[in-house]
Amino acid sequence: MARIGIKNLVKEFGSFTAVKGINLEINDGEFLIMVGPSGCGKTTTLNMISGLVMPSSGEISIGENDVTHTEPGERGLGMVFQDLALFPHMSVFENIAFGLRVKNTSEQEVKDRVQQAAEAMHIEQLLSKRPGQCSGGEAQRVALARTIVTNPSVYLMDEPLSSLDAKLRIDMRTELKGLHERLSGTFVYVTHDQAEAMTMADRIVVMNGGEIEQLGGPLDIYRKPATRFVAGFFGMPTMNFLDGEIAAVDGAPMFVTDGIKAPLEGDLPANLSGRKATLGVRSEHVLATEAENGGKVSLIEPLGDATLVYFDYGGPTRLVSKVDPDRLFAPGDDLTFAFDANNCHLFDADNGARLN
Amino acid sequence: MSNAHSKTQAATPAGQKDRRRDHMPLVRHAILIGWALIIMFPIFWMLQTSFKDSGEWVTWPPNWLPQDPTLKNYQQIFTFDVSGSGVAREATDQPFSIWGSLRDSLIICTLSSLIALFMGTFLAYSISRFNVGGKKFRHMVLLVRMIPPIVIAIPLLMYYAVLIPFATEAVFGARISLFDTRIGMSILYLTVTLPFVIWMMLSFVDEVPYTLEHAARIMGAGRMYTLRKVVLPLVASGMVVTFLFVFILNWAEFLLALTLTHPDVSTLPVLLNKFQSASEGRLYGPQAAIGTVITIPVVILGIAIQKHLVKGFSFGMLRR
Repeated sequence: MARIGIKNLVKEFGSFTAVKGINLEINDGEFLIMVGPSGCGKTTTLNMISGLVMPSSGEISIGENDVTHTEPGERGLGMVFQDLALFPHMSVFENIAFGLRVKNTSEQEVKDRVQQAAEAMHIEQLLSKRPGQCSGGEAQRVALARTIVTNPSVYLMDEPLSSLDAKLRIDMRTELKGLHERLSGTFVYVTHDQAEAMTMADRIVVMNGGEIEQLGGPLDIYRKPATRFVAGFFGMPTMNFLDGEIAAVDGAPMFVTDGIKAPLEGDLPANLSGRKATLGVRSEHVLATEAENGGKVSLIEPLGDATLVYFDYGGPTRLVSKVDPDRLFAPGDDLTFAFDANNCHLFDADNGARLN
Repeated sequence: MSNAHSKTQAATPAGQKDRRRDHMPLVRHAILIGWALIIMFPIFWMLQTSFKDSGEWVTWPPNWLPQDPTLKNYQQIFTFDVSGSGVAREATDQPFSIWGSLRDSLIICTLSSLIALFMGTFLAYSISRFNVGGKKFRHMVLLVRMIPPIVIAIPLLMYYAVLIPFATEAVFGARISLFDTRIGMSILYLTVTLPFVIWMMLSFVDEVPYTLEHAARIMGAGRMYTLRKVVLPLVASGMVVTFLFVFILNWAEFLLALTLTHPDVSTLPVLLNKFQSASEGRLYGPQAAIGTVITIPVVILGIAIQKHLVKGFSFGMLRR
């Protein structure tokens, strides 16, 4: 059992508080991804789970054991680092064997297990090479082989794909997800790349400023972001945000700003009328159809399977709509648009909390 | 580099700029060769003087090469007859054995350099990783070296020859003197060169990424195991370079050795200075021979560890 429990975890570096008392339960065998901008405390949290950083206060347990003050090597973890941390002076074989040798494993067993791990990561042909002779993708596999060879119950990964080029990164995502299926270990993965988080995670923890903003499945987070920050962090292109206020027009709730009127649907809490709020709409929910709101196209970005149309509507920001690639727009064209009333996100203007 | 070079060449039509650029390596080499000649000349002069007999040492105009090459100077310094110095003969024919000094120099330099390397490496590690001594300590390590040796030579003599013997006699009842002993010189050289070792090793240890040690710790390795298997192998080239650097410093140190030894212990640079006689002045031939002999181990060391030298000085090539 490798359930990880985190209770009131705090980490202070001098006067700076990197992690501000977070609570988190990570299930056995789960692929959990911590995501957030630089300095949000996600790596610090991971390092506290690993034991490389001692928490200022709080508790960490792995399985049944409280490991808050346990040495990293005694927690039964495997970790992949951002820079991979392969030992440059050792062969790939010795790199993978390191964890076994520390534990005085017999030579025959070392050989067998390194061989198995190398086969699992398809790097048998690299065993006699030095890490410096491996390509980025190969080095990545070596680092993974070194982690799986000791058979840990928890795998910690600190932005392991950030050193790879874009194409390889996407391939490795699929591979990591496959690896997680095969190993059935608990994966805790840190990244600042929301796309990585969306594609691989069972659950995502979104962190910001040392606190958890939201915890949930990838689609939950995408469809129902708990805060304005989460809404802006997930999705490409970034969600459209409009500052305005909520009004009741003919008894129906309506979001009003700079000449735009957007009807709101769904279950809205009462007494919202007159309240200042931020409306968030994803580009695919900005519909360029016959409607009463008008704008002028300023920029086109064809993606292939869709086209992004950026347009001015008369307000301080620019809106973007994702349209069918067959619809041809040119900068300067007029267009009319409406928001998909079922997919409008309302956030408090002051603290960014979700209102609907 | 070469890419940028060809680009500029392609960009400018065959003009003056290009031709000047083509001549640059020539000019550079001419300057370097000229400089090398200036640097190498004294060594050449020492080498050829060591093969000259006494009459040729100071002829004018100088003989650029020995007219009548002889090994007399080498015979003179390599004679085993240590007591021969008392023999009343012309100074030019006296045997000046260097065996004693060679042994003293080798023992003192090797011992002090090795201990300094060992201590300095671990000190550098603790400064690099744990900020031992505070954040500014690494910049102050060399401060000790700012004091000219002449300033500490006499105070040290007081300690070595007077204070320590009297203090030990008062406390332990036995007079222990560091003056004119190999151990005394070794301790002194250790003290003097340790800041250099720390300073040099710091730059090598700093280059070893933290995450390598973190990775080892996660895999269950203790601090010493990690040091032995990960950190030390990675700074090994740096250690070799540092050892050589410090060894040469000690090997050529003169002032402190002159002040703190005599007559039992004598290092080679001190011995070198003793080659003069009342009747004939400086004995340039044997001096040149000793100079050559002193230089040889350093050159051999340098060649033997050339691979490490290059690696050591081009550190920072670690794959991240």
